[in-house]
Amino acid sequence: MGNEAIARGAWEAGVRVVTGYPGTPSSEVIMTFHEEGRGLPIYVEWAVNERVAFEIAYGAAIGGVRALVTMKAPGLNVASDPVLSAAYSGVEGGLVILVADDPGPHTTQTEQDSRWYAKLSKLPMFTASTPQEAKDTVKRLFRVSEELKLPVIFRTTTRLNHAVGDVVLGEVEERDARPSFKKDPPRFVRAGMKWNLERHAWLNGVLRRVEEVASSLGFNKVEGSGEYCVVTEGVAYNYVYEALRGLGEARVKVLRVDQLYPVPSKFLAENLSSCRRVIVVEELDPYLEAEVKKLAYEERLGAEVMGKEEGLLPLEGELNPSLVKGALYRWLGVPQGQESTPAADVRLPERPPPLCPGCPHAFSYIALKLGIARAGYKLSEVPVFGDIGCYALSVNRPIEAIWTEHSMGASISMAMGLKVAGYDKPVVATIGDSTFFHAGIPSLIEAVHKRVDMLVLILDNRVVAMTGHQSTPSWEVTESGRQARGIDIVEVVKSIGVDEVAVVDPYDFNKMVETVASMIKRPGVKVLVAQHPCRLMEVRQLKTVKKYRVIEDKCTGCRACVNVTGCPALYIEDGKAKIVEDDCTGCGLCARFCPYKAIVEVGGA
Amino acid sequence: MFNILISSVGGQGGLTLSRIMAVAAVRQGLSARTGETLGMAQRFGSVLSFVRVGEDVQSPIFGPGEADYIIGLELFETVRATRYLRDTGVVFAADEYKPPVSASLSPKPAWGRENVLRSLRETLGEKLLVVPARDLALRAGSARAINVVMLGVFNAHARLFADDVVYEAIKSVLPGRAGEVSVKAYELGKAFYAERAKSA
Repeated sequence: MGNEAIARGAWEAGVRVVTGYPGTPSSEVIMTFHEEGRGLPIYVEWAVNERVAFEIAYGAAIGGVRALVTMKAPGLNVASDPVLSAAYSGVEGGLVILVADDPGPHTTQTEQDSRWYAKLSKLPMFTASTPQEAKDTVKRLFRVSEELKLPVIFRTTTRLNHAVGDVVLGEVEERDARPSFKKDPPRFVRAGMKWNLERHAWLNGVLRRVEEVASSLGFNKVEGSGEYCVVTEGVAYNYVYEALRGLGEARVKVLRVDQLYPVPSKFLAENLSSCRRVIVVEELDPYLEAEVKKLAYEERLGAEVMGKEEGLLPLEGELNPSLVKGALYRWLGVPQGQESTPAADVRLPERPPPLCPGCPHAFSYIALKLGIARAGYKLSEVPVFGDIGCYALSVNRPIEAIWTEHSMGASISMAMGLKVAGYDKPVVATIGDSTFFHAGIPSLIEAVHKRVDMLVLILDNRVVAMTGHQSTPSWEVTESGRQARGIDIVEVVKSIGVDEVAVVDPYDFNKMVETVASMIKRPGVKVLVAQHPCRLMEVRQLKTVKKYRVIEDKCTGCRACVNVTGCPALYIEDGKAKIVEDDCTGCGLCARFCPYKAIVEVGGA
Repeated sequence: MFNILISSVGGQGGLTLSRIMAVAAVRQGLSARTGETLGMAQRFGSVLSFVRVGEDVQSPIFGPGEADYIIGLELFETVRATRYLRDTGVVFAADEYKPPVSASLSPKPAWGRENVLRSLRETLGEKLLVVPARDLALRAGSARAINVVMLGVFNAHARLFADDVVYEAIKSVLPGRAGEVSVKAYELGKAFYAERAKSA
């Protein structure tokens, strides 16, 4: 997998510090180190958020040690403050910032194109097309970073991070990895405005050298020849390659840009000088397209440059081989040829990812809704703010709990905003444990300080579940085996001085309903911590798991079980409820809501 | 070059199957790419895994109408994937039936196992092979081995990988008992296909 290849490349480069925050499609880089890297002299740990992760890696890199920090695109937004300053101070040891964008999007709140961050932060940015190149690129980027004394951004997209392919491994570099740090205030103290001006000039000077350093290391390549020229990058290159191979003609020149910022203007100008028509094929925004058009003007290239702005390719969604082939053939004026006709598309019920069988969040959100009702409010008048995590899947039918899901930690502050604007009914913020540690704590401090009336429900399942069960600051031992000090979320909440704290196990369902009903009516910031481990994780540790079964004679097919819980282990067939035994985790939530007592426990299996 | 699409419900082992096929391809001296959507709580959601095996593979995914083979681990998801099939393609469908929550919430029970099967048969005719994958997997020792039963059926038809290469690939991806069960499941899948071919 691309992410495994990136981990391998960093290892081969002698990396000593690896940090990040889980986020699809970037998470497997650190997970690979945790699975394969036991005993290596490398610090590999998840950090509380991307900003902290970056600062840890940066601290290592200014000490001359090679460091890698990984995140998904929105993570770069979180880390952007220290990243921008790091361009002025630079590094001694190589520092690679991996940011994984998600065209599609498959699992991200926006289709953010992080290439713009390179221009904003003035940090060199590179990309790659295949798992093999991902490994080799990350290895070379440590050298680029050290040569330029700047952090370097490695920008990938989902179809590289999650592509599996054959990779040839290389040697692991032996490096002296003892850190040293020389005091140099003009370089590292950003409080001096004169120094900042000088460092900005230094930075601009370094950026002029990027292309020379990159080309000496073999970045950017040209294939074929002709007056028709394709400029492409990253994953899109794969689609261009296959479309042109299908054409069987060598009349097209392909320029693959690996160096995304600053764009390699010498490389482009030289190789585009003989082109009559140019098309730019890239995912997301017309970033390279704008650069190539600017270059065509400045260098008086005289070529017609086309791309997304001319409507040849879409501005939203991810590219695929068929889309790129269609665009290239239209642009070349070549007939599409005999297309294979796909079999009929049948209208099927959708299958978005639901909350898992036994998910404690399902219990929590159903209890929250019942609690709101029991307190005498209409569900339509109590806004439930959501946050980033699995529990956002509660938006789907039938639970339909959350009203918003915005960005890490925003539930508490957005709920506060509505309240201080004068909303006269209760507001509820719901946030997972890892999201609370990541960005919820400052929001809670703000709400407590301003004495806002609100209920905060912390959904504590002891793990970062959505991205594949990574550690949170509550763990006593991390994935790498490090003995850690577990941070008690309840103690943190208490120390902030909230008006009221309660802890409940959502599996103790009635108690949770009552607790919500009584807390929601009282003034002040009330925090209810719903604690139960992620059921998938818990089931793995349990020796026996109960199962539930439907007594067919008693089942009337009223569908209360499905309509309340939405459990994916339940389905209705021939007018009766059925339970997929493999998938049942024995939580008993459905049995609780069966009016006919038709769902019964069948013991351990 | 072969384009293979594995269509499954998250948690069924579709990704594991694509991984086994990629490892087998590399051990066979072919190049391979797989692309898929994973991460997030994809458990119980629709999952498509694209597997491409051949001499010179570059892209990890392919488009609709380009699959030479579809391996469906669940009937609804197999129907959903048929738009990827080429005219000349073949579909291997496990007879697993797991309706999505949205179907159970709908007041009209428009779908049932038989209806889904009929829809598949009507659309695909001779291009479809339905496999009693659960029974075979249970005979091998675990319902979790449905994915590898399907690999056995697929490879008996396509003859893409040598058997010993598949055994190695299975054992490298699934060490321990899961690997042993899977090798058995693979053999049962192959045997099922051979029986079918004989009786046909």
